[in-house]
Amino acid sequence: MSRLDINIRRLKAQRACLNRAAELIARLPGPILELGLGNGRTYHHLREIMPEREIFVFEREVAAHPDCIPDDDHLFLGDIRDTLPAAARRFAGQIALVHADVGSANLARDARLASFIAAHLPTLLRPGGVVAADRDAGFAEARTLELPDGVAPGVYFLFARAPASGEAAVKAARSGAGS
Amino acid sequence: MSRLDSVIRRLQAQRACLEHAAALVPELPGPVFELGLGHGRTFDHLREICPEREIFVFDRQLAATAECAPDADHLILGDIRETLPRAARRFPKAVALIHSDIGTGDARRNACLAACVAAHLPALLCPGGIVVSDQDLAHDGSTRLALPEGVGAGRYFMNRAS
Repeated sequence: MSRLDINIRRLKAQRACLNRAAELIARLPGPILELGLGNGRTYHHLREIMPEREIFVFEREVAAHPDCIPDDDHLFLGDIRDTLPAAARRFAGQIALVHADVGSANLARDARLASFIAAHLPTLLRPGGVVAADRDAGFAEARTLELPDGVAPGVYFLFARAPASGEAAVKAARSGAGS
Repeated sequence: MSRLDSVIRRLQAQRACLEHAAALVPELPGPVFELGLGHGRTFDHLREICPEREIFVFDRQLAATAECAPDADHLILGDIRETLPRAARRFPKAVALIHSDIGTGDARRNACLAACVAAHLPALLCPGGIVVSDQDLAHDGSTRLALPEGVGAGRYFMNRAS
């Protein structure tokens, strides 16, 4: 498998996982976080498949195509180690989807970054909220989701924050109100 | 169509055309030229599908990692408007396959560069040699080849030297 094959496989997996994530959160309110803008292709795709969602982008340095750059109110510019904790305070429990495309050629660095991101996901995500990532950003309370057809395990990752306790609480509150 | 959709479509077209071209030139001796190395992904693909061929890579500067770059003897650095005519003297009508992916966001620059590359193709390609490219590189005596299935017209180009 050549680097061209690997790149095509990765981009197709990314697209399939984002499309699946969009279906999964269709009934879940809340904004999207795009961690890593790069050239802006996946941000462009997210906007296209979820035109009504607010999308916040995290990037150290913007280098995207001009039509793939969010406005200043939706851009967290800087080191994600500073910006993500700040976002976690602002959006605690509200985020419907996090897409993290952090991969570089440095696997050790990627693993550290993925676990840093994973540590903030339980705070950020709404119950049932979804994470699509190019690295294993699983966290203790995460449920690993089945990958779309054609996506090989390890090429991309899909997780959800378990809805159980949240849903149970809502149901309990509803049944309490109804009785 | 998002930019993600369009890059996937472009890379798949590129791969399909390279594989189609490689399958069309097995009888032709001669090296392969890769114009524009970039990250080295298509170079890596070319050496995988043409393992017995010598591949010469042309680029202005080296930006790929060592894993996806040719050795120094097969890397020709510099402005293609100078390096290509030199290569034509070294490999006159001897090149079996040329892949040219030198397009940027600048349409006028792309057209100039494409015209320059096309002008050197008759001197470079062996009879029946093929040029696969992101811009149309039809040249003197060339025949436009049908694109492989699934590749939309205008997405990639294949021309064969007479």
